[in-house]
Amino acid sequence: MASNDQTEYTNLSTAPDLDQKTLNKMAWRSCFLQASFNYERMQAAGWLYSILPGLEKIHTDKDDLATAMTHNMEFFNIHPFLVTFAMGLVLSMEQKKIDIPTIRAVRVSLMGPLGGIGDALFWMTLVPISAGICSNMAIGGSIFGPILFLIIFNAVQFALRFGLMNWSYKMGMDALDSLMASMKAFTRAASILGVFVVGCLTVAMGPTQINAVIPNGTTESYVAHTVTLPTEEVDGMLDMVYADPSAAEPTALVSADGISAGVNDLGNGYAEVTYMEKVTSPVNISIANILDSICPKLVPLSIVMLLYYLFSKKNFTPMKGIVLVLIIGILGAGPFGLWPSIWG
Amino acid sequence: MEYSALQVILVFIVTFIAAIDQFSFLESLYQPIVTGMVIGLILGDVQTGLIVGGTYQLMTIGNMPIGGAQPPNAVIGGIMATVIAISLGLEPNIAVATAIPFSLLGQYGVTLIFTLMSPLMSVADKYAAEANPEGIERINYLSMTLLGLVFGIVVTLFFIGGATMGQAVVDAIPLWLSNGLSAAGGMMRFVGFAILLKFMMNRDMWGFYFLGFGLALVVTNTAALATPALLILALIGFGIAYWDYQQRTQLGGSAPARFDGGEEDGI
Repeated sequence: MASNDQTEYTNLSTAPDLDQKTLNKMAWRSCFLQASFNYERMQAAGWLYSILPGLEKIHTDKDDLATAMTHNMEFFNIHPFLVTFAMGLVLSMEQKKIDIPTIRAVRVSLMGPLGGIGDALFWMTLVPISAGICSNMAIGGSIFGPILFLIIFNAVQFALRFGLMNWSYKMGMDALDSLMASMKAFTRAASILGVFVVGCLTVAMGPTQINAVIPNGTTESYVAHTVTLPTEEVDGMLDMVYADPSAAEPTALVSADGISAGVNDLGNGYAEVTYMEKVTSPVNISIANILDSICPKLVPLSIVMLLYYLFSKKNFTPMKGIVLVLIIGILGAGPFGLWPSIWG
Repeated sequence: MEYSALQVILVFIVTFIAAIDQFSFLESLYQPIVTGMVIGLILGDVQTGLIVGGTYQLMTIGNMPIGGAQPPNAVIGGIMATVIAISLGLEPNIAVATAIPFSLLGQYGVTLIFTLMSPLMSVADKYAAEANPEGIERINYLSMTLLGLVFGIVVTLFFIGGATMGQAVVDAIPLWLSNGLSAAGGMMRFVGFAILLKFMMNRDMWGFYFLGFGLALVVTNTAALATPALLILALIGFGIAYWDYQQRTQLGGSAPARFDGGEEDGI
């Protein structure tokens, strides 16, 4: 009976190399790493399922196979898209019949760093960029949005799965060092691109704007009219032509669109008079104009900053953030008609 | 809106596959942008499906299983948002906001399934000790089928019940509420952006966020560049990130040496 305490295999001779067909089969099986995900062992059973074809080829002795399967059923959790890297390494060690505590140590040590690098690569860079661009296409009604997304995402995913499988199996232990050496720089670069893209998305996909207007009293302006009338009637209209008709040199009124008032004697007893009519109109302050003159997309930026603060400093869960946004949206719309909607 | 038996079966199958796909297989078929289109196709309104799927996708961009966290379930949320938008004729933003309770329900469902699956591991241990590969394979196939069935049944029930119950609810929604839901639906994506920032941000990263924000303002306000804006911006961002990577790997080691050399030369 195999147990987790075993430290060595009974057959210690190095097994023959795994053929390409077996490596490909395992890379394909790695897609089902999380098939039986659970909170106790996480991906353990899926991990074992993925490397089984290799283990069966390596451990021809049934007791050794039981030992290998048992220690590979231990708790395991790694980034699902980078798992083949760990698979190649572990299989190269299994093949060399390295002692079980060492294999276990390497397997466990891969969980942390690969998780971070995978999150940076997939969830923070590839998905925001590809889904961001493709969602825009889909919202615009293009059926190529979803299709393009699937192509980009899966091309990267399978290139990584098959590439890492072969690479790490062939490199054996050396691969770990080569990855560790530049991993920090790689994670940082991926984060830079991710942060940069989120900045872009805040603008490109932030339609939220406060469209409220504030009434700010009224304004008076002049609208020009032109009439032709007998010269003797002109005197009666002078106060609609000049600002101060009794002055020695009266100034003509000017309409809102730039026409000046004036009297043009036609010489046949008639005069053409351009006079002004006073119009009172309400003045509104547009909040949107003011905000845009400070910086366009200020509202999306402020909401993202507020949510970032709540998530990172106040330990808000995503669900709390969603509820908060719902509340802001409904309060802004003036619940029960208590106030006018600010969303315009 | 009445559904044919074929439509109900197709929705069940799509949900079954998407539920499995959210953790295994391609891990991309389940994304709302894809399910939105497929459900739209089944219900005969691809256009609405695309718009709702795209809108929901933007909200979930940051709601990914980062660090193993369990986000509001995008499978149930995305499918229900599309179903609601098409069958009740709701505006996409409102449909997305209305589907949120469903996604929360899905999140609880997943947590429950992950807990209930734990005892299965002792069975797997037994198969391992017996060197029984078929047993291990069976456990994985069984788990996936269970997950697919639970999701499929739940969504199908909502799907059948939702259409008849939903219309009465929609008719009762006052204007302020639909305005508010629509505004909130448009803002949901900021939750996604903020979560992404939480995981990526540290003190030296802020500059890159505002760099992206500022450049995007310029590019999106240039009429000729507005359509390919995100692609252009992604290229710029890639250039910056790649340059930083080079600085820290190839050049990183040699930079101090060159600096010392410069001092010796009296420069």
